[in-house]
Amino acid sequence: MKTKILVANRGEIAIRIIRAIQELKFEAVAIYETPDHESRHIRIANEAVWIGDGPRADYLNIDRVIKAAKRVGATAIHPGYGFLAENPAFARACEEAGIIFIGPPSDVVEKLGNKVTARRIMAEAGIPMVPGTSNLPAGDAGLEEARAFARRYGYPLMLKATAGGGGRGIRRIENETELHEQYSIARTEALAAFNDDSVYIEKVVINPKHVEVQILADASGKTVHLGTRDCSIQRRNQKLVEIAPAFHLAPDLAEEICQTAIKAGKAAAYFNAGTVEFLLDSDNNYYFMEINTRLQVEHTVTEMITGIDIVRTQIKLALGKKLLFNQDDVKLRGHAIEMRINAEDPQNNFMPEGGKTLSIYQSPGGYGVRLDGFCYQGFTVPEVYDSLLVKLTVFGWSWNETVQRLKRCLDNFVIAGPKTTIPFYKNLVQEPDFQNGEFNTSYLDTHQQLFEYREQKSEASKLARLIAEIHHKKQNIYAA
Amino acid sequence: MTRITTAMNPAQVLDTLHRADGYFITNTARDMSQSDYKNRILLHTDLLAAPSRDAAGYFSLEITGGASVHVDILRKQVDPFLKLKLLREQMPDTLFQTLCRGVNLFGYRPYPQNVIRLTVREFAKYVDVWRTFDFMNHVPNMQAVFEEVAKAGKINEPSICFSTGPEHTDQFYVAKVKEIMAVTGDEIILCIKNHGGLGTPKRIGDLVDAIKQAYPELIIHYHGHNTDGNDIGRITAAVLNGATIVDASDHAFNGFYGPPPILSVIQTLKDYGKTAIDINEDAVIETSETIHDQRPYYEQFEAQIKGFLPTVQIHKLPGGAMGSSLEQAAKGGFLNKMPDILHHELPRVQKELGNWWSVTPGSQILWTTAVGNVLDGERYGNPSGDLKNLLLGKYGPFPFYSPADWIYEKVFGPDWKEILEKEGGILEIEDMDIDQERRTLAERLGREPTEQQLVTFLQHPNDAVEFFKFEEKFGKSYVLPPSIFLRRGGFALGETLVFQDHTGKEHLIEIGPEQQDKKGETTIYLNVDHHQQIFVFAPEQQAGTKVKVSLSKEEIAGLAKAGDIRAGFSGNVCEISVEAGQDVAVGDRVAILEAMKMQTPVVSEVAGKVVKISAKVGQALQPGDKILKIDPEKE
Repeated sequence: MKTKILVANRGEIAIRIIRAIQELKFEAVAIYETPDHESRHIRIANEAVWIGDGPRADYLNIDRVIKAAKRVGATAIHPGYGFLAENPAFARACEEAGIIFIGPPSDVVEKLGNKVTARRIMAEAGIPMVPGTSNLPAGDAGLEEARAFARRYGYPLMLKATAGGGGRGIRRIENETELHEQYSIARTEALAAFNDDSVYIEKVVINPKHVEVQILADASGKTVHLGTRDCSIQRRNQKLVEIAPAFHLAPDLAEEICQTAIKAGKAAAYFNAGTVEFLLDSDNNYYFMEINTRLQVEHTVTEMITGIDIVRTQIKLALGKKLLFNQDDVKLRGHAIEMRINAEDPQNNFMPEGGKTLSIYQSPGGYGVRLDGFCYQGFTVPEVYDSLLVKLTVFGWSWNETVQRLKRCLDNFVIAGPKTTIPFYKNLVQEPDFQNGEFNTSYLDTHQQLFEYREQKSEASKLARLIAEIHHKKQNIYAA
Repeated sequence: MTRITTAMNPAQVLDTLHRADGYFITNTARDMSQSDYKNRILLHTDLLAAPSRDAAGYFSLEITGGASVHVDILRKQVDPFLKLKLLREQMPDTLFQTLCRGVNLFGYRPYPQNVIRLTVREFAKYVDVWRTFDFMNHVPNMQAVFEEVAKAGKINEPSICFSTGPEHTDQFYVAKVKEIMAVTGDEIILCIKNHGGLGTPKRIGDLVDAIKQAYPELIIHYHGHNTDGNDIGRITAAVLNGATIVDASDHAFNGFYGPPPILSVIQTLKDYGKTAIDINEDAVIETSETIHDQRPYYEQFEAQIKGFLPTVQIHKLPGGAMGSSLEQAAKGGFLNKMPDILHHELPRVQKELGNWWSVTPGSQILWTTAVGNVLDGERYGNPSGDLKNLLLGKYGPFPFYSPADWIYEKVFGPDWKEILEKEGGILEIEDMDIDQERRTLAERLGREPTEQQLVTFLQHPNDAVEFFKFEEKFGKSYVLPPSIFLRRGGFALGETLVFQDHTGKEHLIEIGPEQQDKKGETTIYLNVDHHQQIFVFAPEQQAGTKVKVSLSKEEIAGLAKAGDIRAGFSGNVCEISVEAGQDVAVGDRVAILEAMKMQTPVVSEVAGKVVKISAKVGQALQPGDKILKIDPEKE
């Protein structure tokens, strides 16, 4: 019997993993909740298991996922990102069920998932850190400790859920009034989202760049990095555009950051693929943020510039293979940019456009273009999941070539039905600061003009609209 | 001799007309469109006809005026000025002619003097010959137009409206001509405006002769309608008695109520030894051959009753009002009452009200009154405002006799004499603040209007704004042929539509499938220049269903400032932080909404008391949905 690997995820990342599994000549098993019954990840998998009506609850249900894996006889489970990917209980449940968890061991997931523990480990290893507190005690004592920290380091501060990640459970606090107002909400929200109401605070590094390093480690502890990524262009702390390698980064600084990432990985006894995230301020000081113990959405840009298939490597490492290449073998070539094309209305605070049907879906292609998506013409975007439709990743030998390729792809992308982030990205790729690689995490706030686009209707489109109306109403009501 | 063209000034044109041995023809395209197709012949068709019409050698092309200016913006979605400009590009030689209703311009009620003058000035940039009339033949009602036309260096063609009956003598009309020439001088063309196509050939011949006897040098332009099928007889009599110009139209589109065919006029008069000067018969024929295949698309606008109506001699409805009157009768469900209305009531009302001329706006007053009298069962029981104004002499004095006292009493009540004494007399209209109107239009358009847009707006304010908005939304749709613009029943799947836009760029639109979803929303797929585009149409509103109002962000923010707190985005209510009756201060949190993993506090923008809570915890809200209401504290 062929080796089966279950993919405990949905959407584009499920497809990404299924592809790697099938290329390794294994069989891919998909799981799905009812609202995902139209999703393409089910169709391309070798086998699919329905795990419940959801929404979300069943993808998050450890028991059901493990049962599904056992029922089909899966050797391993790849968790993707989100859902159970960084849940140590899930990693542990796999271990206990004798199923290989494709990721680090549960104790590593656990200690790195707890931001406070992670900070302690890194501080001990001499990794540069942003000043912050431990978990705040419950009730007024916690608020008092937060206030004391604020008095020392000043506002703004970040109030973070200890169990959060990926931009979730983070709030920026500008002053004491906001601290009072947000503190209890943050705790409630953390409890609802992560089943853990622990929060802590950190000083805010003003307008930093978000720079992260992809690392790979095998069971022997051999750890290599795959270079940097810049994920500074974000909204509400969620990444929109990711770039590899980080642009405008001096080579020796890049090298130093990468070596620090390896040191951080080793300090945590890291295994499999992970991402070490740093904040880089305008004086080139960098601070450890966190280690993501999973495959990242933006892994594609790193794959484009290194030629290394990260997911394939993850699976092989999990199945006990050694890293077959050394640091010297990793060559960073050219530039890659990824844009997350979401079914969202950028002009309405990126409100999701779920529930709408893609009446047209025409994607670009050609040299240096990679698409990781899961939808198709006629597909209705589920309202109950995130709004990512497709990741557009382009590669180019120079920065300018890459930006122009990206522009061409966006111009060729036709999605009708829901509003998408495409028109916003079209503005972005033509914005001079972006074109010059000048951006940090304040980019969207300081470039509000990117939101000022209006779809200029051509004369042909206007007349076509009239024709459509004459057709629909069976007469021209403007001539009747 | 040289052909009359736009290169001549009015004196040269008149001189050429004087020296002519034969007669000239005006192609009355506008009147044909109005009389037989409810004014719907599109610019597209007129542009197709333009080159051969220009080559045909007409004295003029009557292509604007009457009701057409209104219908241009209301139903044809074309700028009446742009229409003339584009036709001029294709027809450099032929004079353009209009029909102007004096103080009523191209509308139905008198306009202020300054609006009249501005309108004439703007249109005179494109219009060479101005046929002007007044339905009461009241010369002062035309004076402002005469003056502006002369100032613009264009040709005045004052009209005497013609009708029949004992009062309508040669003597009366000759006196009217004298009255006109006292105002205009003799550098004019005189129109005999036979809008009903009334009288016999002999009657018209006699009238032309009488005028020619009195004013041998006067150029007479005979205008008639073929409603009874006999206008060629009248035209022949007019020419034989000295008329210099006559009206006819292209045979490809001839119906029943407009002018007769040009070619038949030429052929008939040839046998009398009368030559149609400058006319290129081949070009006349070519025009009809060019546009003949367009006619089927206009069938939907032809009159509900087809065929000649010799009874027009009884009811006297003008050709230009036949289509719209019959349509009104069909839509109003009283087509069966038409014989009674047309043959009994209308002539009766006409006599009772003074036997003046049944032409706009008088024809509408007669028609509406007659229809009302028949349908209501009580004669003059429900008089229109226009009838009241007419009786008060607002539109001009009665030319022959005033209506009987009983009609005044029926319309105005027992005090009618006092009312007539107090309110009677010609309508005095104050000048309009045109700059204020320009600002109003700028505000409604969101940009500075052109002078021509302003003039269009001054004619028909609301319809003009609707038209300007239509153009913004749908582009310049006059480029579409009637096979597209006037299509009924939808297009066929896979049908390919090819047309050029106003810049001359060719476009290809292919009709794709049409889908309806569960909510009744229809999606139509079109391939527009090889790119797929979709168009979504909301379900047709059923009568009585509640219309969901969607609010803009600004509107939501505005309401919040008044204490009406609504969801600013779609999300779930995770907390209502206040209770009804509770006092809140500015900045107090009143609710928390959650969307996309984020909880967002909703704060009060006003201080006051919570009076109503509309949303429930856990409820999914759409932007604009009510959360709660705060009664703001009075300052």
